[in-house]
Amino acid sequence: MRFRIKNQEDFWSGLMFINFGVLAIIVARDYPMGAAMRMGPGYFPTYVGALLAGLGAVICVRSLRREGERIVGWAWRPLIMLSVAFLVYGFLMEDRGLGFVPALVALIVLSSLSRREFKPVELTILTVALVAGAVGIFSYGLELPFPLFWWR
Amino acid sequence: MNSLLRNAVCGAVLAVLPLAAHAQAAYPTKPIRLIVPFAPGGPNDILGRLVAQKLNEQWGRPVVVENRGGAGGTVGLGYAAKQPGDGYTLSMGGSSNLAVAVSLYQKLAYDPLKDFVAIASVAHVPYALGVNPVVPVRSVKELIAIARKKPKYLSYASSGTGSMSALSAELFKAMSRTDIIHVPYKGTVPALTEVVSGQVDMMFADLALIKRHAQAQQLKIIAVTGSKRAPAAPEVPTISETGLKGYVIEPWFGVVAPAGVPAEIVSRLSAAIVASLKSPDVVQRLDNLGYEPIGAGAEQFAEIIRNDISKFAKIVKTAGIAAQL
Amino acid sequence: MEELALLFPNLTLGFSTAVSPANLFYCFAGVFVGTLIGVLPGIGPLAAIAMLLPLTFNLPPVGALIMLAGIYYGAQYAGSTTAILVKLPRESASVVTCMDGYEMAKKGRAGPALAVAALGSFFAGTVGVVLIALFGPPIAELALKFGSAEYFSLVVMGLIASAVLAHGSLIKALGMILLGLLFGIVGTDVNSGMSRFAFGVTGLTDGISFVVIAMGLFGFAEIVSNLERGGAKRDLLFGRIKHLWPTLDDFRRSWKPAIRGTAIGAFFGTLPGAGPTIAAFSSYALEKKVAKDPSRFGSGAIEGVAGPESANNAAAQCAFIPTLTLGIAGSGTMALMLGALTIQGIAPGLQVMTQRPELFWGLIASMWIGNGMLVLLNLPLIGLWVKLLTVPYRMLFPAIMMFMAIGVYSVNNQSLDIYITLMFGVLGYVFVKLKCEPAPLILAFVLGPLMEENLRRALLISRGDPTVFMTRPISAGFLVATLALLLIMVVPAVRKKRQEALEDQPHDTTA
Repeated sequence: MRFRIKNQEDFWSGLMFINFGVLAIIVARDYPMGAAMRMGPGYFPTYVGALLAGLGAVICVRSLRREGERIVGWAWRPLIMLSVAFLVYGFLMEDRGLGFVPALVALIVLSSLSRREFKPVELTILTVALVAGAVGIFSYGLELPFPLFWWR
Repeated sequence: MNSLLRNAVCGAVLAVLPLAAHAQAAYPTKPIRLIVPFAPGGPNDILGRLVAQKLNEQWGRPVVVENRGGAGGTVGLGYAAKQPGDGYTLSMGGSSNLAVAVSLYQKLAYDPLKDFVAIASVAHVPYALGVNPVVPVRSVKELIAIARKKPKYLSYASSGTGSMSALSAELFKAMSRTDIIHVPYKGTVPALTEVVSGQVDMMFADLALIKRHAQAQQLKIIAVTGSKRAPAAPEVPTISETGLKGYVIEPWFGVVAPAGVPAEIVSRLSAAIVASLKSPDVVQRLDNLGYEPIGAGAEQFAEIIRNDISKFAKIVKTAGIAAQL
Repeated sequence: MEELALLFPNLTLGFSTAVSPANLFYCFAGVFVGTLIGVLPGIGPLAAIAMLLPLTFNLPPVGALIMLAGIYYGAQYAGSTTAILVKLPRESASVVTCMDGYEMAKKGRAGPALAVAALGSFFAGTVGVVLIALFGPPIAELALKFGSAEYFSLVVMGLIASAVLAHGSLIKALGMILLGLLFGIVGTDVNSGMSRFAFGVTGLTDGISFVVIAMGLFGFAEIVSNLERGGAKRDLLFGRIKHLWPTLDDFRRSWKPAIRGTAIGAFFGTLPGAGPTIAAFSSYALEKKVAKDPSRFGSGAIEGVAGPESANNAAAQCAFIPTLTLGIAGSGTMALMLGALTIQGIAPGLQVMTQRPELFWGLIASMWIGNGMLVLLNLPLIGLWVKLLTVPYRMLFPAIMMFMAIGVYSVNNQSLDIYITLMFGVLGYVFVKLKCEPAPLILAFVLGPLMEENLRRALLISRGDPTVFMTRPISAGFLVATLALLLIMVVPAVRKKRQEALEDQPHDTTA
């Protein structure tokens, strides 16, 4: 194999930079460019995007030649569970959501599920303690204007 | 923090007052939210907190200020428009987001007339034209003369494209048929700083701010933008009387609520705010900030909003500001 | 030397004002509240000062100012705590503290990191105050010399300096800077009023807020990668605590960086805008350059905590100079401070010093006292914070998630920010996997808008003449310094590469 990727970290970094750069250029096409001396809103993003894509290409090419490390061991379970926890929290905090307390409970329980072992008693105590603390500090202490439940 | 300290200071008062309020009528029975559509610290926020404090003192119910900034105050008003019209959500609007925004933004999340009910206007913000001392002009006439003779020679700073400060200048340019370069900034303070340091020649901004720099000989006040001279600086002429007849910009702030609030609650809110604007400490504070209390009730305020919407629609059109926002 | 002759009567007046029981109370209340909000998410110094503003209406002006100032520098002071303990930077200046402070915490050295941060801040704070007292007005005049051209050049220098922060590959750091610039563009373009990269989402028209990007790239990504690295099996993430307090060796390493950091901070602090951030990054870059063994940086070098923490606190104190003496505010918080003054009927400006000397000098003396209170308040807390890290990670990380969620949401009270934080969290984890360091990205994100804005503005003001950047002396100075910095960075990199080729074994510095 002549085009073996010798440095996976760099190869994918380069590819990521190229992607972001090209995306920036494409989106910025909708904005007027202006001229160098009177720049329009599209000028800066286009050039930064082009530089980024170019740099990404250099990194990619280098990664084919210089030895480096392989990427291993993605933490899929934590990544997915913590993402779900944040999504559900955000969703429950929306205007028509269930309120601060249910959102916090969901966030803490779902986050904890990112680990395989699961201790129901400990989790219950932790959840109650954290939610009580948060409501005390943020809702009553700092008067953050979050409705606690769906009825208020 | 708010409540920790406040309760420590006036916990006793808070404990007694709700009872009295309850005895009187069924409103307000719970805390009121006052949505300030800007980040904390600006004039809108300071006025909002003044009003909130006064309502709180009168009714003994917490009036919680909630900052929802973004897009020149239109994000917060868009949010407020969607809240229930029960009198427990109020918002501090201004001429920019209640009157100008309609003609400036293509997609506005609210209709200032249909989605809101006017409660009371709070204050006028006298505007003035400040010029760096190096620029060799003493009056509006001289300024226009230079600007006509040398197009694109002068520059003006603004607190942002589409802001009241930029609109004042664009109207000035359109009416005086001059070409002055627009240099936009993020906010009034950095813009004014660069006029003081001489990077930019002039700026339309709050009279109070310009006056402060004028007292330190950092700026010259050329004129005020109102229809009459400002009580805070009676020696400064208006633009209208010194060369541009009919030029009037009078920004204001006022409280609105989402449409649907019962008339009885509107009038109670309106009366409470108007009354608080007459109390000597509020008058003094507004004066310190350079604002003039208006204290017009619901109907008058609605009238002000309606008039200014059509007035700014004309300005935006004549100034040729593209509605691209 | 007129200033010196007048200093003692002035300071006497100041201290006699500041030590009145009422003012001592306001000072304490201020720094206490500041410490609280510096540690808790959900409310920043700006919001806290705004909330307390109505309370100060009925206070005497000196008391009001002393209390609000206390909140401001108290929060700045405490901002390092969460950065060191759980890698949650509350403001852009603390990003730098994360780099080595958090690594120290992981090695069981949270105590020394926090103590050095506190002592460095105290030193910087007190020296900063003396500088305000001595050179306030002349330094403030310098701020007025800073036009758009100067800002642009300064930001370019800051960006290039930030590449030094990465202890990995230089070219990837440059890529991260460019990516940060792109994220900084999101929002409304100042010049045209057009909203860019907002994809039609109204919540994005004001751009991505710092807290969102920092919590995602640092906080969220860190938790995921901790759970990956055997967090599931091992409950204690943090190393065993050997010392609660700094050792003699720690002090020996820290005092010089603290002095240099203070000087850097005092210089940048007077510039309106990104003063504390640029100061902290510059101090870090400098310490890494002068260190005998730069490879220690990024894996728990105490110099990397002492320098930047001193720098950002000196900058925070010096930010009062232009605000008080010229009436120009460099940040939202300072603008609010001006508002608090005007509402009391006091016009800031040079006349404040002559007409209301008790106000000006009282505030300065109170900052001295307040800094002392902060040390007394924070040092005992260190024991408590360090104890917190002994909580098993399986219970600690849901708590951190909760703190992040509340903090992010309360910035604008919108769920959208939670979703964007999540996106940056996932991206941050990808960065960890690809060994791309996020710190330069964050600095570029903060400075990018300043760079574009001032570039375009400078060209507008010069009527399109690009030579302004070289004909204005301060601007030219920064650009020359940038060039020198680039050379310093590239030359060793080239040399190192050659060496690597000879040795055929790259030495990996990441632990």
